[in-house]
Amino acid sequence: MLSIRDLVTSYGNIEALRGISLDAAEGEVTCLLGPNGAGKTTTLFTIAGILTAKSGAVVLNGEDMTRLRAAEVVSRGIALVPENRLVFPRMDVEDNLRAGAYSRRASAAEIAADVADMYRRFPRLEERKDQLAGTLSGGEQQMLAIARGLMARPRILLMDEPSIGLAPMIVAEIFDIIRELNREGVTILLVEQNARMALDVAHKFYLIEGGRITFSGSPGEIEQDEVIQRAYLGSRQG
Amino acid sequence: MIDFIQNTVDGVMFGSSYALLAIGFTIVFGVMRRLNLAFGASIMLGAYMGTWLHVHYQVHVLVVAVTTVACTVLVGIYVERLCFHAVRRDAALASMVSSFVIWMQLEEAAIHLLPERTYAFPGLFAAGSYEAGPFLFRTEQTAMLLLAAVMVGALHLLLHRTRFGLALRATSENPLAAAYMGIHRTWTVLCAFVLMSLAGGVAGFAILATDQQITPFFGLWATFKGLIAMMLGGMGSLPGAILGGLLLGVVEAHALWYLGAEYRDLSAFLLLFAMLVSRPGGLLGQRILSREELAFRRV
Amino acid sequence: MDDYVITVLSNIGMISFIGLSAYLLLVTGEISFGQQAYFGLGAYAAGAVTAMFLLPIWVGILVGACVAGGIAMVVGALTLRLSGLYFSISTLAFAEMVRLILLIVHVQVEVEGEMVGPAGAEGFHGIRWMFERDLSLAHFMLLIYGLLALVLIVLLLVERSRLGSVFRMLGSDDLLAEMQGLDTVRYRILAAGVAGVISGIGGALYAHFTTYVEPQFFNVMLGVHALAYGLIGGLGTAFGPFIGVAIDIGFLESVRFIQGYRMIVFGGLAAVLLIFMPRGILDEERVHRLKTLFRRRNHAGAQRR
Repeated sequence: MLSIRDLVTSYGNIEALRGISLDAAEGEVTCLLGPNGAGKTTTLFTIAGILTAKSGAVVLNGEDMTRLRAAEVVSRGIALVPENRLVFPRMDVEDNLRAGAYSRRASAAEIAADVADMYRRFPRLEERKDQLAGTLSGGEQQMLAIARGLMARPRILLMDEPSIGLAPMIVAEIFDIIRELNREGVTILLVEQNARMALDVAHKFYLIEGGRITFSGSPGEIEQDEVIQRAYLGSRQG
Repeated sequence: MIDFIQNTVDGVMFGSSYALLAIGFTIVFGVMRRLNLAFGASIMLGAYMGTWLHVHYQVHVLVVAVTTVACTVLVGIYVERLCFHAVRRDAALASMVSSFVIWMQLEEAAIHLLPERTYAFPGLFAAGSYEAGPFLFRTEQTAMLLLAAVMVGALHLLLHRTRFGLALRATSENPLAAAYMGIHRTWTVLCAFVLMSLAGGVAGFAILATDQQITPFFGLWATFKGLIAMMLGGMGSLPGAILGGLLLGVVEAHALWYLGAEYRDLSAFLLLFAMLVSRPGGLLGQRILSREELAFRRV
Repeated sequence: MDDYVITVLSNIGMISFIGLSAYLLLVTGEISFGQQAYFGLGAYAAGAVTAMFLLPIWVGILVGACVAGGIAMVVGALTLRLSGLYFSISTLAFAEMVRLILLIVHVQVEVEGEMVGPAGAEGFHGIRWMFERDLSLAHFMLLIYGLLALVLIVLLLVERSRLGSVFRMLGSDDLLAEMQGLDTVRYRILAAGVAGVISGIGGALYAHFTTYVEPQFFNVMLGVHALAYGLIGGLGTAFGPFIGVAIDIGFLESVRFIQGYRMIVFGGLAAVLLIFMPRGILDEERVHRLKTLFRRRNHAGAQRR
């Protein structure tokens, strides 16, 4: 579905990505794992068209997206759920959702139907629909950010560290949502530091270090790899 | 007491034109958190083009109106490209300074177009007044007050009921997150400037058609009155623009009556200075973070 | 030198004071649209001292500088909480307040059978100290440049001192400066005061050079120019504002075909420069590079010897 080949992205003279290749298969959750500064967010930003690749290719269902700008990327079916949630704090929940559908040029009725659909999926958002997004709790904001991403009706959803800064219980809830979305057929590319949680939802793992992919494999393979075990999963008790 | 109320009424009438000007300022500030100090000069240049046609070809007043608005929009686009689009995105202050220096350019251009001190500006309808009880109202100023209310209403609908309005609000909240939604920032900002200039052109025409004359001081006057009204009411708030305009008008009217003509403008600046020192966000604006709060945020 | 050249050069000198004043605040990270207020206050105060109280000019300049500096410090204290555009607009509001108050102030005394003093919108006539002493324009020009040199030397010394680095620290990150244990409040007020003094000296000289001043001269456009001088020249060195003034008055005013379009050319130039060199021609980076270049040259020269 989404396939990335030898992607190189740099900030000025510093190469943040030094040739990344990865594939996200239709209907699966693909997880990009790695430490701070390894290039996880840079990868997502390059796919989303916020950064432009120096070389390499981003291909979605056979269509080349490498040189497209953010607006065009969104309208072709790649939506990003940004890190730290980044909702529009002084707009109400419903307007936030509508903003997510901006790129679709859909009719008001269609958008209203999708908003209603999001409320079915996230009843907590419906309870708060007239509240300003800035007044929501962290978990609710993350829910809103995910719902806002879905409003674009993406073919693939990019999620940047959805668990960051949330309490463990809320994190579990967010990962339940991810699992549920995936069961409904949404393709997801997930960037995470929380490998333990990702282990339960992802079908395929990539490890990125220093701008390069250093490991890829299934959840089973990653659990057997001792180095990864120690660095990202922590030693297991018992 | 009657005097006091009549003065207040007069002030509300003056204030209507200030409110019209403040609306333009507040649109761009609301979207970009930036000040366009060349706003008044842009309106003046637009109005000078209209006046120029009127002086040389005696065109119909409606042609003057359309020319004024259209040229104000063109000048507004020029200012946006030069002072806002081209200037580094994080440099809000550089944009303000740039619009400040471009002010002198626009003003001199206008003076080259029409070098005399004063020109007649065509009126839309004859000045008149009507009485309500013991109080006197001016017809054209009442019309301006209505115009301001209609403009705020229309802008409110535009901002809250349309896709474009959604894009404007999202960009003003968080340009980066808006870009994730596929909202084109450059385009949205340019549209905000066109909107500002439209509002400014309409305001300028309405004010000049009431005064029926134009001088080279119009640009300075329009920038200051609009800016003061916006800052009093609350930066970036549409209802604030009206409230600020009316408050400014009322204060000026009382200063004029009780202290004399030379205290009218002084009272306006004094009010602005006092507001900035005591409550920088204005009456209805968002609270401005003080230095300490900014520090706390970074921790 | 004919009188025209002397007048242009004197104007460059006097306007440089207000450019320097705007520059100093820019260095501390504050953008002031209102330094013309202190120029005006200096002019009126100094004029009053020599024309109304018949005191010598150095007292006038001293009083003008103190009045401007003192008021600048009060305003600086009042606007301390403000930053960014709120600060800028507050300086603009204050400058317009000063201009409008000067339009109202009407205080005259009888001096040798004539009424002398500020007369509202008509301005303040009869500041004739220079002519009563038969000083030529050239002499006065020397006085202007002597004082300008003095101010510049002080500023250059300040820049090399601890105070200079404090100012630059305020300009680049005042929170960080505060964390370093600096009393930012004190330094901010001090910077405002020094900037006021510099502008006030310029105004005091201006009043005596032209023999009369009117409030209209100290309008927003003077403030626009002052700020543009500071920005165009660059924030790296106190020589910066002179480049701005020289471009505007020295070059644009003397080129015939630009005349009448000076503000259009200069305004455009300043706007374009803000795009490509947001911190001016001689910004900190270029000044640093020039310094190392000179140092290396001198070093090489010394070795050869």
